[in-house]
This record gives sequence, structure tokens and C-alpha cells, in this order.
Amino acid sequence: MNRGTAAGSAATPPLLRAPGLLPCCLWLTLLLGCQGPGGRPLPGLERQLDQLGASRDPALGDGRLALISGRGGREQVLLIDLLRNQPIPLPGLNRPDAQPLAVAIDQRGDRLALVRQRQGRTELVLYRRAWASIELVPMQPEGVPRRVALDPQGQTLAVELSRNGLWQVDLIPLPP
Amino acid sequence: MFDRNRQDPVLSDAGRLLASVLSSAGEARLVLQEQPSGRQLSIGPLGRWSRHRSPGLSHNGRYLAVLVPQGERSLALLWDRASGNLHRFPLPAGEEAERLSLSPDGRHLALAIRRDGRPSLRLFDLAGLLEADLPAGMPLRGGGPPAPPP
Repeated sequence: MNRGTAAGSAATPPLLRAPGLLPCCLWLTLLLGCQGPGGRPLPGLERQLDQLGASRDPALGDGRLALISGRGGREQVLLIDLLRNQPIPLPGLNRPDAQPLAVAIDQRGDRLALVRQRQGRTELVLYRRAWASIELVPMQPEGVPRRVALDPQGQTLAVELSRNGLWQVDLIPLPP
Repeated sequence: MFDRNRQDPVLSDAGRLLASVLSSAGEARLVLQEQPSGRQLSIGPLGRWSRHRSPGLSHNGRYLAVLVPQGERSLALLWDRASGNLHRFPLPAGEEAERLSLSPDGRHLALAIRRDGRPSLRLFDLAGLLEADLPAGMPLRGGGPPAPPP
């Protein structure tokens, strides 16, 4: 889902549309969320993400959250600004003919790595948000990617792939 | 080493540290390595568990997080490699953690969970729990007296 679609939908949660209009009770929930033994939960954002669909495969940058969210059998990659609780547009990334399988981001969410299924093939792509560009990342020798990670600077990609009957990890340097 | 499966990779800044899970014959163990040497580093108290899954690393590798089994369920653990502290992130009954992601600065933790069979996320703000693990060369802001006028 791109931002335009989210903003135009009547079902779009207000947290992701206009954070200034949050209901008072939700702000209280966010402000008074108790400090448990493992940090402060963020139930408000969790609830809003649940309203968008079933969420999986989170990938955190610094103040950024990428995830795969789906509803009605259609899944897409979302990028959320955790400081403003707003979606960040990803023009050209989500295609109707592609199924996202796993996602990773660098610290600023400028680069996203995505494992996706398209036209019967599982492929690894790198998305640069500034240019809205997608490039296929080749694997040598070939393998079937399953999961992916980026280092915080987005310089190195670590991909888990199936090759010769084993799960292996390749480290792939990326151009600046 | 080469006949084992290696899964779930994560990288610290500039790919200097790689955490991944090596599995063989039903055992899955977290491995932390310097790159490119491959030198293996201690995983401290996390080594008390086995069947590790889905690790997370911060910018400088100060924080290392992972999912481990706890009875029939799973538990998220975070080890502070500087202080030695081990933090636990128990989930309410009925929720099962499947994936973990730690933000590079150590300020957020995300868990992909299954609740009543439906995938969902649990998000934690760690700012009150952990010092930020900032990337090298990043200036600290705020605090102290105001700067004198130029």
C-alpha cells in the first residue's frame, strides 16, 4: 500500500494519517504505558498496525520500521516513521505481480532489501528510496534467497539462501 | 562447519560483526563472528540456551538479542555486551514469538508474534532501559549549559 492509498481510505487508522488528531485516550495509553521488565510496550502503534492487516517480518532501523502487512491475501511492504507514527512512501516498491517474502532496511530506511516472489521466481532486490529505484541483486553461484539483512549503513547485504541442499549465508558488498 | 546450515544473518556497522545461527542435527546455536576474519566471539549468558533463532545486533555490536525456547513457548533475550546485563522480554500467554528485530541504536525491539494463529507485531521502546548504541562519530545532542554565542 502506498501512502496515497492509505491516506485516501476511510479505514486508515488516524495514527498513521494524522498523529495530531489522536484521541486523548490513545495518547494516555501511549504516555502511561507501563515500564515492564523488558522496555515500554507501544500498544497504540501495534493496534494501528493490526488495523491495517496481519503484520509480519519486522525490520528496524533507527526510528524506522519496515514490515510486511497483508489483508485479503494481498501483502505489501510498509515503512513507518516511529518518531512521527507516519508511513513513509515507497513508490514503485509494491507491485501487484510480486509477493514480498522478507524485508530488511538500513538505519535510516534509505535502502530496503527485499526477497520477493515474482513470475514464479524468488528474487532479491535492492530498493533505493531517494530514487525510487529497484535493482536485482545477483547471487553467485545461484541460490534461492529466503531472508535478508542490511548492515546499518546499507553497505553490505547478508542473504540467507538455499544452495546445494543447505541453508547458507552470502555477504554481498553494495555500491555506495 | 561447512556441512551445517547457516541461517538468520544480521550485521553490525559496516558488517564488522555477523551474528547468525548454525544448525546441525536438530541443534541450532547462535554464533557471533568478526568479519572478515571469521573469529568467533563469546555469546555470554546466551550460550546457556540452545535452539536460538532470529538474532539482532546494534550499531557497534554492544547489544545482541535472540529468541530462545522457554518450555513450549519462546522468549526474547537481549545481552548487553558492555555491562553484562541480560534483559528478558516475556510475552503474554497465547502469544508466540516468531521473529525478532533490534534497531541498530538499541532504542526499539520488534517481535513478530502469532496470537490466536494470526500474525501480529509486538513493539517495545527501550529508551528507558538501554543506553543508545550510536554509530561511531555521531555527536551527542542536548544537556549541559547552552553554548556561548559565536
